[in-house]
Amino acid sequence: MSASQAAPPEPAIRQADPAGARNGSGGAAARAPVRRLLAVLDLHRGWMAGGAALAFLAAFAAIGLMAVSGWFIAAMALAGAAGAAINYYTPAAAIRACAIARSGGRYGERVVTHEATLRALAGLRAWLFRRLIPLAPARLAALRSGELFARLRADIDALEHFYLAVLVPAAVALLSVLMALVVCVLVLPAAAPVLLLGVMIGAVLLPLWTRRRAQRDAAQSVTEAGMLRGLLLDALRGHEDLLAWGGVAAHTARIDALAERLGGRRSRIERLRAVGGGLAGALAQLTLLAILIIAVPAVRGGALPPAELAMLSLLTLALFEVLGPLPEALAQWHATLGAAARVFELADTPPPFLEPRTSVPLPAAPAIVFEDVRLRYAEDARWALDGIDLTLPAGARLAVVGASGAGKSSLLAALLKLYPVQTGRVLFGGEPLAALQGDVLRRQIAVIAQHTTLFNLSLRDNLLLAAPEAGTDRIERAVRLAQLEPFVASLPQGYATVLGEAGVLVSGGEARRIAIARALLQEAPVLVLDEPTEGLDARTVGELYAALSAAARGRTMLLITHRLSGLAQLVDEVAVMDAGRLVARLPVDDYLARERDA
Amino acid sequence: MAQAWLLSGILAEALLRRAPLARLWPQAVALLLLAPVCFALSVGARDTAERAAQRLADSLRGRVLRGAQALGPYRLRAEASGDLITQLVEGIDAVQAYFARYLPQALGAVLIPALLLLFVFPADWLSGLILLLTAPLIPLFMTFVGQAAEHASERRYAQLRRLGAAFIEALGGLVTLRLLGAADRFAQHLDEQSEAYRTLTMQVLRIAFLSALVLEFFAMVSIAMVAVLIGFRLLWGELPLRAGLFVLLLAPQLYLPLRALGALRHTRMDALAAAQRLAALAELAPVARPRAARVAMAEAPQIAIDRVCYAHRGRTAALRDCSIVLHARRVTALVGATGAGKSTLLSLLLCFAAPDSGCIRVDGVDLTRLDAQQWRARVAWVPQRAHVFEGSVRDNLLLAAPQADAAALERAAERSGLAPVLARLPRGWATPLGEHGLGLSGGELQRLALARALLRERATVWLLDEPTAHLDAPSTRAVESLIHGVAASRTVLLVAHRLSAARSADWVVVMSGGRILEQGPPSELARAPGAYAALLQAEQS
Repeated sequence: MSASQAAPPEPAIRQADPAGARNGSGGAAARAPVRRLLAVLDLHRGWMAGGAALAFLAAFAAIGLMAVSGWFIAAMALAGAAGAAINYYTPAAAIRACAIARSGGRYGERVVTHEATLRALAGLRAWLFRRLIPLAPARLAALRSGELFARLRADIDALEHFYLAVLVPAAVALLSVLMALVVCVLVLPAAAPVLLLGVMIGAVLLPLWTRRRAQRDAAQSVTEAGMLRGLLLDALRGHEDLLAWGGVAAHTARIDALAERLGGRRSRIERLRAVGGGLAGALAQLTLLAILIIAVPAVRGGALPPAELAMLSLLTLALFEVLGPLPEALAQWHATLGAAARVFELADTPPPFLEPRTSVPLPAAPAIVFEDVRLRYAEDARWALDGIDLTLPAGARLAVVGASGAGKSSLLAALLKLYPVQTGRVLFGGEPLAALQGDVLRRQIAVIAQHTTLFNLSLRDNLLLAAPEAGTDRIERAVRLAQLEPFVASLPQGYATVLGEAGVLVSGGEARRIAIARALLQEAPVLVLDEPTEGLDARTVGELYAALSAAARGRTMLLITHRLSGLAQLVDEVAVMDAGRLVARLPVDDYLARERDA
Repeated sequence: MAQAWLLSGILAEALLRRAPLARLWPQAVALLLLAPVCFALSVGARDTAERAAQRLADSLRGRVLRGAQALGPYRLRAEASGDLITQLVEGIDAVQAYFARYLPQALGAVLIPALLLLFVFPADWLSGLILLLTAPLIPLFMTFVGQAAEHASERRYAQLRRLGAAFIEALGGLVTLRLLGAADRFAQHLDEQSEAYRTLTMQVLRIAFLSALVLEFFAMVSIAMVAVLIGFRLLWGELPLRAGLFVLLLAPQLYLPLRALGALRHTRMDALAAAQRLAALAELAPVARPRAARVAMAEAPQIAIDRVCYAHRGRTAALRDCSIVLHARRVTALVGATGAGKSTLLSLLLCFAAPDSGCIRVDGVDLTRLDAQQWRARVAWVPQRAHVFEGSVRDNLLLAAPQADAAALERAAERSGLAPVLARLPRGWATPLGEHGLGLSGGELQRLALARALLRERATVWLLDEPTAHLDAPSTRAVESLIHGVAASRTVLLVAHRLSAARSADWVVVMSGGRILEQGPPSELARAPGAYAALLQAEQS
């Protein structure tokens, strides 16, 4: 036995072992999707094997039923013609047994195979989503959420085909063919080559042919279905823009054109399936005819008992009924393969960071240090951070100002371990970020980001995302500090009111305050504010700054802004950025004086 | 059927008379010829059904999308787009499957057994009688199971929609979730939703499979009865073998369409559950108002907002009794706290909604009587947060003016400050923009929105919602001077939270809680002890 055979197969899914998943991600990309799909199914092998066994039982019973019935009727007729007696109890019992096994087996097969598939797919979906988490945002920038959604939903759903329509029928077909061949050899050896030829064409050549013919359409239809989702999402989310700019008709026309192309592909695949199914049916007739041509003289010659001719004929028909779905199923093969490839491609995207297995303990009041940090978003992009040296002692309050595109947000991306830096390093509490797990780091930093996403949850649950353990007291205190009380009072069901997608019922300013309350709930030693007052009027900003300065007491604070008023209230120092560099750092009063003079 | 007749003939001859092969040739050849006919008919039938269903699905998708759009921007925003996408994709697919497979099968399930019975009776009346009596039991039983199944199916579909909405919002907010350290917890939330969906799906499938099982059982029992009776009558010599075999070959065929229908049962349940929501959306035809009036808009119009009130569904009034006159070739600035109703007023001006009372007149013509599309063609809009569409930077700009040439694009990019952004992008104009304009910062996005507005050179009305948010001081000054340049030949309404933008406006309106507190030239307002002066003071402190 070779070493590779002895080694246990490497599972595609290692939910329990995230480190292993990362180690394997590089080499796994090259592996064939089929093998990886098999590995996914292997996790549910009990269900899978049970489903296949029941499917075979049902098929076996169906073929047996037809064969025995055929023999029985013929034997009865012959006995009747000859006026002979016949033992009809045994075959009648066999027929009854086959009938029950067929019905029960088919029901069991359907339930178990679907249960198996749904379990496997749900597991795969959960696994893929968890693989996506560390990829955001650095590795997902190129993919729109409509596209991601398509992969998580439609592509994974398409994989059910692999087990239900290909794997199980193929296994059942193989076993049934073997069984039928054995019977055929026992009854009439001369007919066996013909039967084998028919089966080879019906179960191997024909499916391979439909698979090849449908290849292009099937593979393309997966991509286009994803594109269609994206366009539909644009139509819905960008409706106002389309309306205002008069682009509704043009966009709808794009959707219609794509839908038509996709529909054409699906129709062609469907047609090919119909052809495959029809050819399988015709093949059954031809094989039967060929067998008859061989068997009829055998009956006449006495080599074959007449009743067994009926059995052989019906056996052939029943066997082809089992083989019939294969040519149809394989027309979908490349769509399934394409979906699997898309799923695994996404899952195999290496995360931007190799997280350490354990995180070193952090001081209660950590300092932040940037050492000659350079960061860019693509190989050919300019440096978003171009040699940043910045020290922020624990408890310091610093504002970072600068033109848009100066690199202020990139500073945060580096600090929060969302994007990898190309050179230099960032230290948090004296530890380089590489030694800290991203999740542990981010728990120490409360962020109020430029764009807040509110989830389709109640206001309370939206707030609790930051601190699931927080009680009503803490929530109410955070809401008070963020000046969200009037908003809560205006909601029909108070804290239990569900906020719609992307915070629909909520104005920009209200969303910002919810984000602030959420950040306050997190009770982290470091507070990071990215333009927290954008979209708010001057008076609200004044009130908010007062609240924020109270909340920031005792914490390290990093404020990104280009609004100068009220700055003195919130920070002690100002750092000025330009083109990815830190060009000045000075006390806030000096900075404001300088700006006033300018 | 003909095949069965021929086949039974061959078998009977061969069995009983041990006929030589030569005598069976005609029947064998006929059987051979029947195969392609059978094949062509089955392919043709499926193909026709599929194409018809495809056409139907296309038109339904179009109608549902238009229906969703007819909800209007406000109600559309309140619908989770993940849910709508589920309906537009999975829902339509379910309906298509119903028309492509279930409906033809249902028709076949009625016609084929009836037709077969016509042939069974002459061959063997007793078998025919048994089949005639048992076949109707099947549809009867199916209706019986139907009630429970449909209920389960509706719950499953509702869960499918919830799941879709949950996934799409999780993907859209993945960064937020990571920052909150809540990604894993949200993943568990998704697991629970998936698990609920799986359980409900299995419920539906179990019912569907169970009804298929009972169907098969019925079919099996009656075929067995037929077989046994034929067998004994063959034994007693009461029935010719050919007739017996013929009936026996036909009996399963009689139940086949009914059984196939049972196997497709969940297709129908899925389609019914989906269709209810789809029908509701498809019926939302755009409200056609008599919009006949035309107005010459080559010149900047005067827009009079006259005692306008408006409330979003289910919320307190967003606008109460607002009256403002927007003069041509002037910049009017709207200032006030968030939630004061500024953006709502812009929406009314864009005909996204109509005032509940009062009216908006453009050069004296009621806006609700104008053709909304023609009116919007004259308007350039800079929203707070422009939607970035799938496509290149160029595609995204061309939305505002599809016919614009390269020179016009360059001009708009230059004036809006987008040109330096373009220079930084790896592929310039052809750079694809990701979801929410990833790769573009807030300020860059704002320049994109401005460039769109500039590209629509014929626009005589400019509506800007916080155009300088996310911009630093020098860029803000550049945009403000741009706006004043634009105003030389247009009517400009500017929503601003920063007074610096309002200070250079010709007319300032201060709003709060949907009401207008005061309005006038900024210099006058600054001197009066009013709301504007208070804001000014707050900003300077």
